[in-house]
Amino acid sequence: MQQTILEVQDLSRSFRSGRDPLRRLADWLSGIEPPVVRAVENVTLSISPGETLGVVGESGCGKSTLARMIAGILPISSGRMRFRGEPYESLLSRKRDALKIQMVFQDPLSSLNPRLKVRDIIGEAAVVHGIVPRSKIRDYVADLLARVGLPPEAAGRYPHQFSGGQRQRVGIARALAVNPEILICDEAVAALDVSVQAQVINLFMDIKRDRGLTMVFISHDLGVIRHLCDRVAVMYLGRVVELAKTEDLFAAPTHPYTRMLLEGMPRISLKRREFLPIQGEIPSPLAPPSGCHFHPRCPIATQQCRQVRPELREMAPGHVHRCLNAVAS
Amino acid sequence: MDEFGRHFAESRVAVASLLVSLAFLLCAIFAPVIAPTNPYDLSQLQLADALKPVDSPKVVPGEELRVRVTVANGTATFEDLPEGSVIKAITAEACGEKCLDAGVEPADVDLESLQIRGLPPGLSVEGASKHPVQPWWTVAAPADGKARIVAEGAFPSDVSFLAIVKSAPHETGFVFRLGTDSFGRDMLSAILYGIRISVIVGLVAAGTAMVLGIGLGLLAAWMGGTVDAIIMRAVDFMLGFPALLVGLAVLAILGNGIDKVVFAIIIVQWSYYARTTRSVAMAELGKEYVEAAKTLRLSPVRIMLRHVLPNCLPQVIVLFTLNIASAISLESSLSFLGVGLPLTQPSLGMLIANGYEFIFSQKYWISLYPGIVLLAMIVAVNLLGDRLRDLNNPRLAR
Amino acid sequence: MTEALLDVEKLNTWFYTRKGIVKSVRDVSFDLRRGEVLGIVGESGSGKSVTGMSIMGQIDEPGRIVSGSIKLAGEELTTLSFTQMRHYRGKRIAMVFQNPLMTLNPVMRIRDQMFEAIGEHENVARKEIHRRCVDALSAVGIPSPEERLNAYPHELSGGMRQRVVIATALLLGPDMIIADEPTTALDVTIQAQIIYQIRRQIDQRGLGMIWISHDLSTLSELADRIMVMYAGATMEIGTTEEIIGLARHPYTRRLLESVPSRNKPGEKLQQIPGNMPSLLSLGQGCPFASRCERATAICNETVAPTQLSDTHRIWCNHPFED
Repeated sequence: MQQTILEVQDLSRSFRSGRDPLRRLADWLSGIEPPVVRAVENVTLSISPGETLGVVGESGCGKSTLARMIAGILPISSGRMRFRGEPYESLLSRKRDALKIQMVFQDPLSSLNPRLKVRDIIGEAAVVHGIVPRSKIRDYVADLLARVGLPPEAAGRYPHQFSGGQRQRVGIARALAVNPEILICDEAVAALDVSVQAQVINLFMDIKRDRGLTMVFISHDLGVIRHLCDRVAVMYLGRVVELAKTEDLFAAPTHPYTRMLLEGMPRISLKRREFLPIQGEIPSPLAPPSGCHFHPRCPIATQQCRQVRPELREMAPGHVHRCLNAVAS
Repeated sequence: MDEFGRHFAESRVAVASLLVSLAFLLCAIFAPVIAPTNPYDLSQLQLADALKPVDSPKVVPGEELRVRVTVANGTATFEDLPEGSVIKAITAEACGEKCLDAGVEPADVDLESLQIRGLPPGLSVEGASKHPVQPWWTVAAPADGKARIVAEGAFPSDVSFLAIVKSAPHETGFVFRLGTDSFGRDMLSAILYGIRISVIVGLVAAGTAMVLGIGLGLLAAWMGGTVDAIIMRAVDFMLGFPALLVGLAVLAILGNGIDKVVFAIIIVQWSYYARTTRSVAMAELGKEYVEAAKTLRLSPVRIMLRHVLPNCLPQVIVLFTLNIASAISLESSLSFLGVGLPLTQPSLGMLIANGYEFIFSQKYWISLYPGIVLLAMIVAVNLLGDRLRDLNNPRLAR
Repeated sequence: MTEALLDVEKLNTWFYTRKGIVKSVRDVSFDLRRGEVLGIVGESGSGKSVTGMSIMGQIDEPGRIVSGSIKLAGEELTTLSFTQMRHYRGKRIAMVFQNPLMTLNPVMRIRDQMFEAIGEHENVARKEIHRRCVDALSAVGIPSPEERLNAYPHELSGGMRQRVVIATALLLGPDMIIADEPTTALDVTIQAQIIYQIRRQIDQRGLGMIWISHDLSTLSELADRIMVMYAGATMEIGTTEEIIGLARHPYTRRLLESVPSRNKPGEKLQQIPGNMPSLLSLGQGCPFASRCERATAICNETVAPTQLSDTHRIWCNHPFED
């Protein structure tokens, strides 16, 4: 049995719409059950140390919610998480150890507090948690800035004085400042220009190699995922529909949704593709279709798919999917 | 910050309003220095100055001294005169065998009358009118301030009498630039002190309300759920009543006084800050830097005060500026209605109220000048706040 | 060769800011024929959006078109007055933005917004307008268009909204459409659908289209020709085959190489060192010179265009030879 650093079991997050107390009272009086929205449903994952897990999916698939639950900043509704075998609740109760899981965010602008200097953005948590004495913070921040490829003068500036790529570097330095073991990247390169994106992806790869970081890389961009990740989980409307090694997934996708995603993925090619894109919209997460969530858009859906919720099935070792009708391609 | 200053300076109205507001602030701080009189010192007030129009000089009324004078061997001795009196000494000088000149020192004091009482029989005062019954002789407006006592026979060597000296009222160099009110208070001084009170009330009340409102707003935003609901319903409740009505109700219960007025304004205003802070903080809480702070396991207090609050401050400061103006006008309104400050410490509103009863007898200055000052102050602060709000509004930014 | 629908010649659009003159577009020339999609690719700050706005006549203070000409079917647009230009906008040139909510009014039904767009320019019967709206909506792949007409923008998904915007753009039968990152905010599957439908409309109606994007992969699938912009200047222009397969300009090459799917998974990506220079301090030479490994002293002085084929033109002193 391979050792795991992070184990996620049956993780779900659901919330009732209408949290206003008056609304709740009115609902209760009239006997209405408010609809339950399942942002993330029964996600089970395990991540080995040093591995990079990609989570890919379209908007509303719950990938960002999943990221925030793993980062411990969104409460979970049900399920369990373990960090090196230790339940999350006890991990999070010890603040210093809770720092082992850090996150890099999508928006280079709003993820940095505009009123703080870069030195404070990066160094604050390290000082507060006693990782570095306040007297040594200048050198500590300078080291981190050098690590992410920024000059030491950057410490005295404010976020708006940087370009998007540089801001993302500051965000990475902030996460690294507390010596994390797991780094969760939520669309961390999505807002960047192509050439800057390449620089930041390379930075991630360097950091991962140097520090032996475990990474969860969340993205809608299959190209980025393919480049960076060892394994990929494909999510659709709150559920993981396929999970496999990156090579396997890209070589032989089994779930019809994964296939559709790979086909729709824009790639630089000279052949004008003569395909008919998969029709239909992504349904609202507020009212997901019954049975298999994908059945209204699925080319191979059967009557059964409308009623039965597919469970995760193992296709090949380490390759699981949630489809009743899928066959290996 | 430079950029902010430049944008601000683009509007001349804004610069003017800033300068006017600063001028009022300086007036408030230095009122005791620049005011010609202290309007709170009741002992300086004299009814003779009441309702004097603009630019009238201050008149010192005549004083009356009663001094017992004893003349022995041609030398006069007299009781001590009160200090500060215009008359420094009483003199007695023989002017012949049968006569004695009683006078005052300095001799050029303008006397209204000099009365000599209690002369022994046989003595009388020349050119004086005698009281029909009593041995009292009165010299009206004596020349050189002297009365001549003459004897029928030989002048006794020892004589004592009571001298009652009445000096005439005289103008002083002091001028009531803006007239006086019905208590004889110098309006200019009263207005300067009134500005001081208004500014203090405005700053203290709006400031305290701000701190309170920010605290509750942040609490509501962070806690959400029931706490949020309770605080926000309280805010709705407060905002449902007109400010003046709430102020009147509070002061009706507590009585008047500057601290109570401040308290009433805080009660009225905290809800504005709470509402604004909550809504801005909610927007900020949704941003990724807050999530980052949570991932870095910073404490909620730290996140709210160090990360969220500074990003809420621009909007709150705009509100603060506008609320200073409304605090000033609320205080003035309450004082005008008579429930605000005590009569002895008039604010601008009370000055206007005091003058209101005289305005139809053409004594316009009592109400007019405090009114103009109050108007200028509120307009200036409001314009300043408007400009700050415009600069803060990303929709209007180019 | 057919006459060009749009002919842009030596366009210069500058912004006069407090800090100095920002030369957002410098000497940009290109043309567009009917039934053709021209892709303009570039990173943020490359001037690709300002080029689109210049054609639309929507450059606001402190910017203005300093020199150059923009001819639509032979008619000069740069000298038109504001009112004349308004007639052109929508009627002859339509624009689609990245965020559909910029175009759609949140408090108006789709029906009213589309009706208004027609009513502004034409005088036709309501029934006819209705028919045309339904046609336009179904042309861009909106299911049950009759129902959608009654919806408010917030009731539609992002993809649907963008389709409505495109349908509105098609409504008046314009000669050309300028689309500025229209699918960037959308999901991959939705993006693929919209690109497919747009290409079909272009082919059927013989429109000209300028598709502005930062994403070479989308353009490679959609565009007939691609213009690569960097720091306000054109680097390379050519057919999609020439740009994707036969790129000669070092910048285009670097851009293509930095796309993850063009690299071996797990290996470091080819990256362009450094940052884009400030648009305030550009000299006469090649703006890419400071980041280019082939640059020599002359690149900072001047750069001249080279015509490589009828369609392929490149602004570089030291292009790749193969």
